[in-house]
Amino acid sequence: MSGHIVDLFGYSHALMGWLMARAHDAISGIGSGLAGPAPPVADGLSNMGAVLVAPWFITLQTWLIAVTAVIMWCTAVNLLLMMWMERKFYSRLHDRVGIKIGLTSMGFLANIPILGRLFTNFVKRPSHLGTGFLQNVADGVKLVQKENITPAKADRFTFHVAPVLIAVSTLLIFAGIPFSEGFALMKEPNADGLPSNPLGILFILAAFGLAPIGILIGGWSSNNKYTLLGGMRSAAMLLSYEIPLILSIVAVVVLTGSLDPFEIVRQQTQGLGEAMPPLSFLPGSGAAPLYIPNWFFLVQFPAFLVFFIAALAEQERIPFDLPEAEAELVEGWLTEYSGMRFGLVFGFKWLRGLAGSALLVILFLGGWTGPALATPWSIPTDTGTVPILLPPQELWFMLKVYGVFFLWVWISWTFPRVRIDQILNIGWKKLIPLALLAIFLSIALRLFGVYR
Amino acid sequence: MDADLAAFLILSVVEIAAAYLVVSSKRLVHSVFWLSVTLVTIGAIYILLRAEFLGLIQIIAYAGAVPILFLFGIMLTRRKIMEEPHEAE
Repeated sequence: MSGHIVDLFGYSHALMGWLMARAHDAISGIGSGLAGPAPPVADGLSNMGAVLVAPWFITLQTWLIAVTAVIMWCTAVNLLLMMWMERKFYSRLHDRVGIKIGLTSMGFLANIPILGRLFTNFVKRPSHLGTGFLQNVADGVKLVQKENITPAKADRFTFHVAPVLIAVSTLLIFAGIPFSEGFALMKEPNADGLPSNPLGILFILAAFGLAPIGILIGGWSSNNKYTLLGGMRSAAMLLSYEIPLILSIVAVVVLTGSLDPFEIVRQQTQGLGEAMPPLSFLPGSGAAPLYIPNWFFLVQFPAFLVFFIAALAEQERIPFDLPEAEAELVEGWLTEYSGMRFGLVFGFKWLRGLAGSALLVILFLGGWTGPALATPWSIPTDTGTVPILLPPQELWFMLKVYGVFFLWVWISWTFPRVRIDQILNIGWKKLIPLALLAIFLSIALRLFGVYR
Repeated sequence: MDADLAAFLILSVVEIAAAYLVVSSKRLVHSVFWLSVTLVTIGAIYILLRAEFLGLIQIIAYAGAVPILFLFGIMLTRRKIMEEPHEAE
């Protein structure tokens, strides 16, 4: 059941092909419009025009557009949306309204001739009537115009390199994450013509594991007791929670026999009745066993639990926020950062949260699959036409991702911080044995033929 | 020029330069940083040679172990966070 509406490379290729053909026409038009023998400039121009429509150049442009689209989708759309959702939601948990700066708060809009009437009401109390979505944009603008201070005794080179390292390794994760069957950067057709990415999960893990280097270097290079302590705590926590995270992924990988996110999602689309002995809750009716999708959090609940907690710890959220415990260590390892460098290392936590919940949805919650209604329309993609389903795959995926993120926010604004000794106890004595149990469960399910 | 060859040349130049900086850096933490650059670049060269699994395992196992080395470097060698700037020169 394929119902994606975004075909990343197909659309990028069509867009760049069209744009480059127009540019080629425009350039060759310059040369041909001149009277007499063509001047040497026109030759150069027509050479340039030929390069513009060359296949390798269009492929390069297609990749650039696709990568830019994914980065903008993650940072400009999802990062802002997640920050807004978290701030509004925990404000409601605190029994207050929260941020309210929105489009209607911008007083100058009232000066627009006719449309301004829509906003005149709001001019009286401009900051009290918006949805709050522009608050994060305003905070970002504030951070951009602040001064970037480098402490006098800091190690300048590593101090400047650390935020870049963190941002790059976080954005690298999204190269491996598919948002639907069509909206994915790393994708190739397999032997059956289905989308696949044979080592996708491994790539995501490799990108996930690079951030602690940046955090430690950032904490050390500030030359400050608090940042060093925060960096040390962060390293201790990230490293000890990466092991149960990887072990719980191994449980799913053993169950499916694949490191391919597309294949893992495909195996979750079949009903539980097909992979396992049929479940029939309707007495007396032999036909139509109850269709329960084979999402792995049903079969592999221990691994799901371990992944859920470990991914929560990976983003340094509040039950596990002791790397930046505000009461003890000013702001943890990012105390000395200011301006947009602070924004860069601060926003990366939400991006890691987005990546973690996307990975959780792919591994345990059925990815982009879900019940959908067929519509009479279809769209062309690189592999033929695809029917449009009413909640398309992208919408299902983002709904699940935001559902998981919502649970994380709920947990993190409800529970108190875990102490450092308890953190290591939970990680090493509880999560790792539970993850090993999940691996044994997978092996047993494979051995006794319940799966394959 | 072939794109693979260009990528290989860039990666190997970066790798050799980083490997030289590992041994020539005055500060231990700089060495550790350049070591991580070296290891990630080796992983990238593996991927370029169509050994994707080996390359990714190289990045997970080796570059993932660099923070441990960093911790040992900080905790077992010096008592201060870092020397004063004028001492370092």
